[in-house]
Amino acid sequence: MNNGAIVRVRGLRTRVGDVEVLRGIDLDVQRGAVVAIVGASGSGKTTLLRALNYLTPFSHGEVVVAGHRLQPGMNERADAALLRQVRTRVGMVFQHFHLFPHLTAVGNITEAPRYVLGVDPMAAQARALALLERVGLASHGHAYPHTLSGGQQQRVAIARALAMDPDVLLLDEPTSALDPRLVGEVLAVIADLAAGGQTMVIVTHEIAFARRVAHRVVVVDAGLIVESGTPDDVLERPRNAATRALLALE
Amino acid sequence: MTRRFFPALAFVVLTHGAAPALAQDALVQVRTRGVLRWGGDIQGGEPYAFRDPHDSARLVGFEVEIADALAHRLGGRAEFVQNDWSTLIPSLERGDFDVILNGLEVTAARRERVAFTRPYYAFSETFVVRRDDGALRSLDDLRGRRVGTLAASLGFELLRARPGVEVVLYEGVEEPYIDLEQGRLDGVVLDNIIADRYGLVRPTLRAAATVGEGTYAIAIRPADKALLQAVDTALGEMRRAGELRAILTRWSLWNERQERLSEVAPAAATQAAPGAVTVSQLLLFLHATGFTVLISTLAMGLAVAGGLVLSVARRYGGAPLRFAATTYVELFRGTPVLLQLYVLYYGLAPLLTLNAFTAAVVGLGMNYAAYESELYRAGLQAVPIGQTEAALSLGMSRRLTLRRIVLPQALRVALPGIANDFIALLKDSSLVSVITVVELTKQMTITAVDVRSWAWPGLLCAGLYLALSYPLSRLARRLERRLVPVPA
Repeated sequence: MNNGAIVRVRGLRTRVGDVEVLRGIDLDVQRGAVVAIVGASGSGKTTLLRALNYLTPFSHGEVVVAGHRLQPGMNERADAALLRQVRTRVGMVFQHFHLFPHLTAVGNITEAPRYVLGVDPMAAQARALALLERVGLASHGHAYPHTLSGGQQQRVAIARALAMDPDVLLLDEPTSALDPRLVGEVLAVIADLAAGGQTMVIVTHEIAFARRVAHRVVVVDAGLIVESGTPDDVLERPRNAATRALLALE
Repeated sequence: MTRRFFPALAFVVLTHGAAPALAQDALVQVRTRGVLRWGGDIQGGEPYAFRDPHDSARLVGFEVEIADALAHRLGGRAEFVQNDWSTLIPSLERGDFDVILNGLEVTAARRERVAFTRPYYAFSETFVVRRDDGALRSLDDLRGRRVGTLAASLGFELLRARPGVEVVLYEGVEEPYIDLEQGRLDGVVLDNIIADRYGLVRPTLRAAATVGEGTYAIAIRPADKALLQAVDTALGEMRRAGELRAILTRWSLWNERQERLSEVAPAAATQAAPGAVTVSQLLLFLHATGFTVLISTLAMGLAVAGGLVLSVARRYGGAPLRFAATTYVELFRGTPVLLQLYVLYYGLAPLLTLNAFTAAVVGLGMNYAAYESELYRAGLQAVPIGQTEAALSLGMSRRLTLRRIVLPQALRVALPGIANDFIALLKDSSLVSVITVVELTKQMTITAVDVRSWAWPGLLCAGLYLALSYPLSRLARRLERRLVPVPA
């Protein structure tokens, strides 16, 4: 972390079967930065994001995140303690929310603080209600996930990740599974977090949103970072053909 | 359950339909067919009627020889019909066979339902205890003790007349003596033939006293007066010709008690209406229902917990653990629960002496655990991988993820199946009567013998089972409905 990065990726390669999905990725994420990863479907951007908390193992290179070093060949059983430490500091928001269906909104948010960190139930509940208010769902604390809209579910999922006070929040296409009219409410919450200084890495197809919120845009194509820079540089003056193709779809 | 219960219902249905067929005396049919069908239970074993150990296709025994000789004198051959010993009389009434010839003791209660020929054997009732139990000399010493005998036997009548004795009922003749040796019983009261061959051959047991006498005779439907006459006459001829004595001598059964038999006359049926169900019998039914509920509930608790362990071992365990759990499931699902109960209670007795109640709960619980584990396995598979990823990415350990996130969801999926299995278990619990537990179905068969009718006890028993299972099936259906709308 000599350069102040909360995430540092070096020489990352991942092979799935015969296909090399990531072919040598270097990436730094500074504290307080919002990094948007864009790229065509199948370019490897989601695999890159999931490597950052080792949900997807990688075959070469290293990831240093929140002060811990992740290496190839680690596994869930043998390296459980280290992975738990990393994931306690790294939040994740999924495309399909993955809320716990048997728990209420508050139950989803208090689960990890209570059972992983040992936070007092009353304190965890108070914090959950505050987070729900922050994502605009103050009155939905007792609702079960299946009674909520997709946009509401994703906002609960963001609150669930924030409840652990993560050093960095990973968001994997957070609006892709949403009805178009529900996208706005989720993006508004993410923009609010960015304004509050939350470090985030967002895989997204929302180019306009990336332009508005991200400090840096990273373009992934065929397992490599082909372009990286400020939104103005990358999205207004793209130099790479893949970036231009991506923007042409807009 | 079905094994014993259906005959009861069938009897209710058939009583009227069967009557016209019985109007003609069975002797006519025996002569026409040239076959005398006789009922017995080969589980009674040596020396009555049993499979020849050297040729299992052949039946042997002193009663087999008597039946053959009688049939020959009636001008035909004998045909054996296998039937549970405790339900021989209802089956005779149904017309499944023409006579009962199987150690059936002449008692007042039986004479209200069947007619008996003159006796073919005089027995004594032998009270057997453990050699090291010097305190027991007569039935009077048995207050508060557990004593075994056969269901619906003379021994049962004798013991039941003594308040304070805990009577334990068996269906085979070997098992009571096994239990006596293991200390699960304090004494056994059975006919001397049985005591001599199955009890007193064990070095740890001794005969404490002779507590009664009686005779075996051939039972015939009261309406078949001509058949009774013919069989009784044939038996008298066999005695006079020395044929009966020769048979009994061949089986080492002849003694001076048999000499006196020639003076005993046939015992005609006495008239009696089927008895009514009394309040005390109703109380026995409720007590037995309590046992059924208690055994089923405890066994289900064991099955739910055991199934959970099995399913988690199969999904998350290492190779040896997975193999062990899979073997367990296949073994317990692939063999009859009746056999498992038998092995657990009698087979393991030298190593592990469980009392009947514990063996019943453990046996049913272990069997159902195999089925529950399959339900959980399906439940675990139904929980999307995203749930585990979400929990892990929050820093939850694998164990915590399983306990807090995956299992609660898997259980919900499995819950309707568990409720359905509980209903099945409630009925399967009737099987534990083979290891001497008197639960609802067993109580029904005992009462049916007492009141000389299967109708009332059978319907009452059915009603009680329904009263237990119907609310459960409603619950299962509600759970199923509630689960459907929740998307994964």
